[in-house]
This record gives sequence, C-alpha cells and structure tokens, in this order.
Amino acid sequence: MIYVNDLKKEFKKAIKEPGLKGSIKALFKPNNEIIKAVDGITFHVPKGEILGFIGPNGAGKSTVIKMLTGILTPTSGTCTINGYVPQKDRQKYVKEIGVVFGQRTQLWWDLALRETYSVLKEIYDVPDKEFKQRMAFLNEVLELDSFITSPVRTLSLGQRMRADIAASLLHNPKVLFLDEPTIGLDVVVKDNIRNAIQKINAEEGTTVILTTHDLSDIELLCNRIVMIDKGKKVFDGQINELKHEFGQMRDLQFELVDINNVAKLDYCEHFNATADDLQLSNEGVMVSVRFNSDVVSVEDMLSYTLSKVHVKDINLKDADIEEIIRRMYRQEVSIDEV
Amino acid sequence: MKFKKFMRTYRPFTRAGMLESVAYRANFICFLLGEIMSCFIMFFVWKAVFNSTTSPDFMGFTMSDMVVYLFITFLTGYLTYSDGTYAIATEIRDGSIAMRMIKPCSFDMCFLFQELGNKIFNVLVIFVPIVLGVEIYRWAITGVCQFDIVHFLLYIISLVLAYLISFYFNVSYGFMAFYLKNLWGADILKECIVNFLSGATIPLAFMPTVLADILNFLPFSSLSYTPVMIYMGMYSLDEIALRMLLQVFWLVTMILISKAVWNHAVKRLCSQGG
Repeated sequence: MIYVNDLKKEFKKAIKEPGLKGSIKALFKPNNEIIKAVDGITFHVPKGEILGFIGPNGAGKSTVIKMLTGILTPTSGTCTINGYVPQKDRQKYVKEIGVVFGQRTQLWWDLALRETYSVLKEIYDVPDKEFKQRMAFLNEVLELDSFITSPVRTLSLGQRMRADIAASLLHNPKVLFLDEPTIGLDVVVKDNIRNAIQKINAEEGTTVILTTHDLSDIELLCNRIVMIDKGKKVFDGQINELKHEFGQMRDLQFELVDINNVAKLDYCEHFNATADDLQLSNEGVMVSVRFNSDVVSVEDMLSYTLSKVHVKDINLKDADIEEIIRRMYRQEVSIDEV
Repeated sequence: MKFKKFMRTYRPFTRAGMLESVAYRANFICFLLGEIMSCFIMFFVWKAVFNSTTSPDFMGFTMSDMVVYLFITFLTGYLTYSDGTYAIATEIRDGSIAMRMIKPCSFDMCFLFQELGNKIFNVLVIFVPIVLGVEIYRWAITGVCQFDIVHFLLYIISLVLAYLISFYFNVSYGFMAFYLKNLWGADILKECIVNFLSGATIPLAFMPTVLADILNFLPFSSLSYTPVMIYMGMYSLDEIALRMLLQVFWLVTMILISKAVWNHAVKRLCSQGG
C-alpha cells in the first residue's frame, strides 16, 4: 500500500550572524548550511493499518508527511502510495487520499461550513447519494450539526478540527494522513475524533498514518508505531515490542499500614539506582515506586519492600507507553549531548 | 464532455469567490470610493493642464478625450486587476499553499475561477454606471452620440485578453515568493512600474516616440492601453487586429512562463510554519 524507501529531504538554511551587520552581510554573501530534515527513512504500511508516526518536535515527522502527500519533493529516495508517486501524478493521486494538518485548515475561511462541503463534493466528484450518506455518517460521529451553517472563521478550534477531519473523509479516501489531529483539543473532542478514525478504519479499511504528541492517541488507535528522531528511524514495530525493547518500567503501588514507615524505604541507596531508573512518590499511605526491571528485578523489589514495611495492599503493573516514550526521547537527547 | 467535467470541477471556486466577495462588501465599497476619488483627482490635474494651454488639444487629445481616457482606463484597470500576486504570495508565505496542493485541481485554474467569482458582483456594480456616465458626458460635450457598438464589442474582447494576461503575469510574479519568501515590497514596486509602463498613469501617446514604440510592444500596453484605445476609437480596424494579435502573443507567453516558474518553484517549496 505505502512503500517508503530511503527517503531523504535536505533544506538549505541561511546562516546569519546576529544584528544588522549580519543581515547586511547575509544579503551580499549568503552563507548556507544544509539541514538534513529527513535522513534515509524506510518503512512499509499495509492496507488497513493505523500507523502511529511519532518523534520529538523537529524530528522530521511533518516533513515526511508532506513528502508522502506530494507537497514537498524528496531530495532523494522514493515513496509510492497506491502505486502513485505523489509528486508525479499529483492531481490523480490526491483524489485518493485525505489529509489533515492540525495546524492548518483546508476549509474556506469565509464560507459557511456547509458550503465548503459542497465545494469539496464537486472537486472530488462525489455522487449525490454517496455524499448524503457520507455527510450523515460524519454528522453522527463528529457532531457537525450544531455549527454546519456557521462561517468557518467563527468556529472554535475543536469544531474546526472536527470539520477538517470530516472534509478529509468526504471522498472516501484510501489513505488518510493526520498530522497532529488532536493538537490543543479537550478530552471530549479528542475522544470524538479518535472514534471517527477508528470507525472509518474499521468500516472502510482506510489506511491511516497519524502523527501526534498525545500518546494516548497512539495507545488507543495504533497497531504499530514508527518513531523517528533527527530524521532517522529509531523504532518500527508493535507497541508491545516497544515496551519490551525500551526499558521495562514497572509501577509498584502499595498501601502502608503506618504512614511513618515511609522514611524506612530507601530504594535508591539500597539498589544503587539512578533517579532515571527508580522514582518514589507517596500520597499519605499510598506509595508508588516506578522502577526499571532491567536494573532492579521485580523479585528484589518486592522482597526489599516487604522486608521493610507492612502493607495492606500491593499491586504491580506495566508502565504505560507514555512513560517509555518519554524515556526514549530523553535518552536520544542525552546520547547526542555527550 | 471534458469541458463539462472541467466546469464542474472549477465552478464551485467561482461560487465560493462570489460568496466571499459578498462577505466583504464593506471592503469593496471603501475600495471603490478611494479609486473613484483618485480618478477625480487626475481629472482635475488634467483640467488644469488643458486650461493652461491655448490650443484645444494636447498631443492629439482633447479635454473630452482625456476624460474618457481617464475613466475608461480606470474601468479597464479595475476589471483587469488580478490579485494573483498577493494571494499566491500570502499562501506561500504562511505555508497554506500546501492545502491547495492536496486538492485534485490545477492551481492557476483554482485561482482564476475564484477570482472571477470574486469579481462578478463588483463588475456589475461598476461597469454599467461608468460606461453610461462616459457616454452621457461625450454626448453632452459633442452633441452627438459617440457610442459605437463594434468598437465596444472589440473592447470587451481585448479586455478579456488583457485580464488573462494580467492574471498569468501576476501568477508568475506571485510564484517568485517561493524564492523571496515575502513579496510585499516587490509587489508595490511592480504595481508602480506596471501602472507607468501600461499607460495607466500617462497615455503612451504623450511619451517620446522611441519610448512609446518600445512600450507599445511590451506586454504592459496590452494590459490597459490597447483596450482603452480600442474603446476610444483611436485605432483603425487593421491596427486593432495587430494589437489583439500582440495581446494573444503575450497571453501565450505569460501562460508558458507561469507554468515554467511553477514547475521550477514547486521543487524548492519548503515548509514555512510547520
């Protein structure tokens, strides 16, 4: 479905010395530096998959999406989607995809939302009957009814995003690209949008590529994730694999019988672990220890804890994906700084 | 069939353009008032020029010719005005051009049809009163009706050509924003130069012969001077045919240039604003 092979994108960036003097100098003798925004990324997405595309700010996610949607031309490497090369057959290719950039809108700023949809209907050549069905479906999932007659410029961010997603789905695209679709939205709207994505994926078999910083998007929606950093792919696989591969963070939670016993617990010293691998926090009698099970085994942890204090209740669980990714981001940064 | 499909794709842009222009009515009215005022300022300037000479005409223009010239130039300038440079430059600057690239339409056509929609009401509001006013004025001065339907129709054809030249010229110019990133200054410079070279500020006939000959050949005269001269009946039919041929030549050239610039520029597109 989607094949990306050794994709690279380089930008020229003018280096300018600070101040007026620097500006004048740059005017006559521009000094360019080449930035590798995307540096040899390869992956493949089968039909019907929801792929989470993640990475810290400036990792090159949006640049990849822009190349996949035909907006940017790669410096080298190839991508083929549904057998199309986006940059070559742009007009035909984009008929089969839907795109949402969370920070932009494809709606007509000055028109009532309803008008935008009828414009899109004509552009994409959607038959009347299909259009009606689609609108009814999108209305139901995204609750557009309450603002469909308002001009787009008067919509709130959450309304606009829902409207944008509906706009990208109107022509029943085979592939849907979502670049940060939940940015800046409240929980209810996020839920709404996730629901819509899930439904479309299940009912139409739409392939979805999603970038996000909201890791619950990933956990709730994606079967697979590709993580990139500094233009390079650092992880590609199932979420379970990620959990396995990057740090076995566990959460040990227990309820103390006596609140004064908290002072007895000195994990860091006992296990000689860094704050990155072991953290202790408590709220009254409820204590929570987050630890890396590669550094401190679960058995050691439990036996140490139980030898020191009496507990009423104890509970051990996997850390969520968010924690793993947070650690990964940090790790990448610290490796680079050394 | 192909034409039908073409119209089905781009008609909505015209409709959207119309709805947009309705949304910004006040803007249009202010613009119109400002333009008409500057038109009258020019009128009084020329009136002063004619009053200070003893001969009834100046370089072959009588005062009433001059009035017709001023107002028809204003009308032509307004009708052939294309917002392409500004619209494209803005979209390139803030990066929203990306949103156009993900739609299955050709760029220039989207802009063209949207702009046509934007203009429709304004044209209706402005065209009839000015032509009517000019003709009444001519009739009142000379005592005979000067309106000539053949010249008027030829004027309309020339006007359409002029608009398309202007449109493609502005589109090409707008694509320069891919290289310059921000086109505000360059756009103002362009407006001034074009207004002068096209004869919108001073009739080309008033300029030194060599300069006038050169300017007559350049694309700028096709934008405004040619249709206005046709309207005023200053050209013989042979001349009109020649001038229109020149207009067609420049139109084709501009279309080719805009395609070439686009093809080159799009490869250099970089993402501004995420």
